[in-house]
Amino acid sequence: MTIPATVPVLGWAWDDLLFLGLAGILLGAALLVVLGRDIIHSGLWMMLCFGALAGVYALLGAPLVAVAQVLVYVGAISVLVLFAIMLTQSKAGPLRLVFHRQAWVAAIASIVLFALFVVVVAEGDWPQRAAEVTRTATDQLARLLFNDYVLPFEGVGVLLLAAVIGGVYLAKRDPGQGGSL
Amino acid sequence: METLVTLLLALPIAGFGATALVGRRLGRQAFWLPVGAIVTAWAVGMVVAFSALTGQPPFTGEHGQGFGFSLYRWIPAGDFTVDLGLYVDNLTAALLIVVCTVGMLVHVYSIGYMEHDPGYWRFFAYLNLFMFSMLLLVLADNFLVLFVAWELVGLCSYLLIGFWYKRRSAALAAKKAFIVNRVGDLGFSLGIFAVWTTVGTLNFQDAFRGLDQKIAAGALEPWMVTGIALLIFTGAVGKSAQFPLHVWLPDAMEGPTPVSALIHAATMVNAGVYMVARANPIFAQAPEAMVVVAGVGIFTAILAASIAFTQNDIKRVLAYSTLSQLGYMFAGLGVGAFTAAIFHLVTHGFFKGLLFLGSGSVIHAVHEEQDMRKMGGLARRIPWTYATMLVGSLAMAGIPPLAGFFSKDEILGSAFRNGFLVVWAVGFVVAGMSAFYMFRMMGLTFWGESRVDPHVAAKIHESPWSMRVPLVLLAAATVVIGALLGWPLEGGTIHAWLDPLFEPARELLGLEHEAFGGLDVALVLASVAMATLGLAGAVRLFGAGAGRFRWPARLADRDALVASVPGARFLYRASVNKWWFDDLYHLLFVVIGGRAGAALRWFDERIVDGSVNGIATVTVAAGRGLRVIQTGRVQNYAMGIALGLVALTLAYLAGLFR
Amino acid sequence: MSGSLDAYLLLAGALFSIGVFGFLARRNAIAMLMSIELMLNAVNLAIVTFGAFVPALTTHASVIALMVMAVAAGEATVGLAIVIAIFRNRRTPLVDEYDAMRE
Repeated sequence: MTIPATVPVLGWAWDDLLFLGLAGILLGAALLVVLGRDIIHSGLWMMLCFGALAGVYALLGAPLVAVAQVLVYVGAISVLVLFAIMLTQSKAGPLRLVFHRQAWVAAIASIVLFALFVVVVAEGDWPQRAAEVTRTATDQLARLLFNDYVLPFEGVGVLLLAAVIGGVYLAKRDPGQGGSL
Repeated sequence: METLVTLLLALPIAGFGATALVGRRLGRQAFWLPVGAIVTAWAVGMVVAFSALTGQPPFTGEHGQGFGFSLYRWIPAGDFTVDLGLYVDNLTAALLIVVCTVGMLVHVYSIGYMEHDPGYWRFFAYLNLFMFSMLLLVLADNFLVLFVAWELVGLCSYLLIGFWYKRRSAALAAKKAFIVNRVGDLGFSLGIFAVWTTVGTLNFQDAFRGLDQKIAAGALEPWMVTGIALLIFTGAVGKSAQFPLHVWLPDAMEGPTPVSALIHAATMVNAGVYMVARANPIFAQAPEAMVVVAGVGIFTAILAASIAFTQNDIKRVLAYSTLSQLGYMFAGLGVGAFTAAIFHLVTHGFFKGLLFLGSGSVIHAVHEEQDMRKMGGLARRIPWTYATMLVGSLAMAGIPPLAGFFSKDEILGSAFRNGFLVVWAVGFVVAGMSAFYMFRMMGLTFWGESRVDPHVAAKIHESPWSMRVPLVLLAAATVVIGALLGWPLEGGTIHAWLDPLFEPARELLGLEHEAFGGLDVALVLASVAMATLGLAGAVRLFGAGAGRFRWPARLADRDALVASVPGARFLYRASVNKWWFDDLYHLLFVVIGGRAGAALRWFDERIVDGSVNGIATVTVAAGRGLRVIQTGRVQNYAMGIALGLVALTLAYLAGLFR
Repeated sequence: MSGSLDAYLLLAGALFSIGVFGFLARRNAIAMLMSIELMLNAVNLAIVTFGAFVPALTTHASVIALMVMAVAAGEATVGLAIVIAIFRNRRTPLVDEYDAMRE
C-alpha cells in the first residue's frame, strides 16, 4: 500500500497535517498542564506536551534536538518533576484552590502577550529566510559542537555537575532535623 | 635672626604649654616657668627690635627694608598659598619694644598681685598664651596670620576678662567683649577677602605693591580701595574699641588688673592702630577712608573723655581714658600722622600700663575696693604707688617733659598742619579734659580726706616688691621715653625709625614734612596751657597734695559750676550713664534683635523645618501606602515583570507604527 | 503551513504565553516550575525554528538548543531541590504562603 502524496479528502500535504496535529496536542497538553486541578495529572500532561514538541523538532528537520528532547525532557526532567510532586504532596489531598488570586490578571496579561507575539510575527520582516525547512546534518552539528562550541559545551558540563551537587545539597535532609519527608 | 624671631614666638607658647600641663601641680611656684619664658623673650625681643632699628644685617640699609621669612607653607591650595611668614621692620620693632617690655613687667607684677588667687597657674598660662598671640600679631607678614593672631588675642582677652568666671558680671563682660569683637572681625575678614580677590595675595608687601600697581593701571575703582580700607578699619574699630564698638572695653575691667594693664591698655587694644598703620599703603590710596578714621577716632576721644569725668570706679576711669587715647591714635592715623600715632601708641603703652598697674596696687592696698568714693588720702600710706601714679597721670595729662606730652602734641600738631582743624580743635579740648579727669582720679584716690572703710583702713599696706619694681621701671620709662624718642619735636628718633616706612603714604596723600616752626611752638604752648588748665581745674574742685602742701577740695565751687553751666545736670547724667550707649544697644540688639530672632526662629521652625518635616511626612505616608504592594510573594513580583514586559512591548510597537 | 516560519513562531508564542499564565496563576511551586519548563521549551522551539528557516543558522541553532536543554535540566534540578527544601521548612508547596521576602 502506497501512501498518497496528499492527505485524502482534505487535500493537504502530510507535513501540514502532522504539524496541525502536533501543534494541537502541544497546546492542548500545555493548557491542561497549567489549568489542571490535579498536580499529578499536570505532570503527566507535561510529558505529553514535551513529546509533541519532540515531534515538532523532527518536523523542523532537527532530529538530534528531537531525540535530546525525548531523552532530557520526557525522560529525565519529567520524572524528576513527578518525583518532586510525590514528595511534596501533603496528606490533605489535592488542594481546592489551584489558582492564585491574581489569576485573571495573569490571564489577561498572557493573552495580551500572545496578541503582541502575533503582531510581532505578522509585522516582522525576517530576512534571508528559506521557503523550505533546512535539515540539520548531524555530522556537521557534531563537528561544530566539538570544535567551535567546545568551550561552551564543557562549560555546560561543569554547570550540570554543579547543579547536581547543588540539588543534592539542597534537598538533603539536615542530620539534626527529623520529620517525615 | 630667623632663630631669634622664631624663639621669640616659641618661648611664650612653650611657657603656655608647660604651665597649662604641669602648672596645677606647682601651686605657688607656678610663676617660674612662664615668667622665666617671658623675661627671656623680652631679652630676645629687645635684641631683635634694636637690630632692626639700627639697621643691622639682615635688616638691609639704614632704617630701611624689613626682614621677612617663612616658617613653612601653611596653606598650599593651588593659586591660594599662605605661608606662616614672619616679618620684622621698624614698625614691628617699635611694637616689640612695647609688647615685650610691658608684657614682661606685667608678668613680674602678677607674681605678687595674683598671689592669693586659686587660679594662679591658669592666669600665667593665659598670659603666656596672650604674649604668644600678641607677638604673632605684630610679627605676621600676611593678613591671614595676622587674623589668626587677631582672633587668638581676642580669645585670650575673653579668657582673662572672664578669669573670675564664678562672678556673673565677669562672665558677662567676657561674653560682651567677645561678641562685640566679632562684629569688627566680620568686617575685617571681609576686608581680607576683598584684598585676596583684588590682588590675589595676602602677603602684606605683595598685596600693597599689587594694589598700587592695580590702581596705577586703572584696574581698580577708587571706591573699591575705599571699601577695602573701611572694612579693614572695621576690624580695628572692634579690637581697639572705637565708637560705635567701644562698649566692651570698660566692661572688660572685670578682669584682673594686670590683664587690664597688659591687654586692655598697652597691647591688644593697640592692635587696631598697628594694623591700620601696617595697612597705610591701602589707606593712603583712600583719602575718604582716612577722613572716616580721623572722625571716628576724634569722636571716640571726646566721647570717652566726657564719660571718664564722672566714673567712680578707678579702673573705669582708666578704661575710658584708654578709649580716649586710642581715639587720639586713630585721629593721628586719619590725619596722616602715622609716625605720631605709633609714637603715641608706644608712650601710651608705657604710661597707661603704669597707671593700670598702679591702680591695681591701690586696689590691692584697700582690699579689692575699686570705688574711688571709698578711697582718698592714700598718698602717704602707699608712697611708691602714689609717686609712680603721679608720674603716669602727669604723662597722661600731657605735661612736659613726660611721655604723653610729646606724642599727643605731635598728633595735634599734625592735625592742625594737615588741615584737619576740627580734629585739632576737638583734640585740643580733649587734652584739657584728659588732664582734668586724671587729676580728679588722683584727687579722689590719693589726696583729701580718707573715706576708706575703717576696718580696712588699718590694714592698708604697700604692695610687695614684685609689684613695686615694675611700677618704678615703668615710671622711669614714662619719664624718659618721650624725650628719648620724641626730642627734638617732629624730628626725634622715632621719626628716624618710622618716617621712611610711611614716606610713600605721605607722598600719596600730598603731605609735606615741615620743619618745626613758630606755629608749632604756639600750638605746643596752647595745648600745654589747656592741659594745665584742666589739671588746675581738677585740683581746685577735688583737692590736691598731702601733708602741709595741700589744696583742699572746694565743694562750693563744684556746686557753683554746676549752677552756672546751662544743662550741667543733663551733661552729668549723660556722662554717668555713658551717653546711654549700653541702654541703646540693649534696646537695639537685645530687645529688638531678640524679637527679630524670635520671629526668625518661628520662621525657621514653622516654614523651613516645616517644609522639611512635611517632605518627611509625605515620604513616610507614601511608604506606608506603597508597603501594601510589597507582599513578599514571588508571583506578585513576577506579575510586575510580565506587565512591564507587556508595557515595554506596547511602547516599542507604538514607536514602530507611528 | 508546515513550511511557514510564522506558523512555528506563533506556536512558540502560544506555548510561551501559556507558560507565563501558569507561572503567574498557579499556587503550587512545582506547577510554577513546570510552567517555566514550558516557557523554556517555547524559546527552544523559536530557536530551532529560526535554525530551520535561516540556512546560515541551521547547525548553530541546534547547538544552542542543546545547550538550552542542558541548562534547563540543571535549572530543573536545582529548582526542584529548592522547592523540596522550602517544603520541608514550611510544610506547604503553596507559593503564596512563602512571604519571607516581605521582611
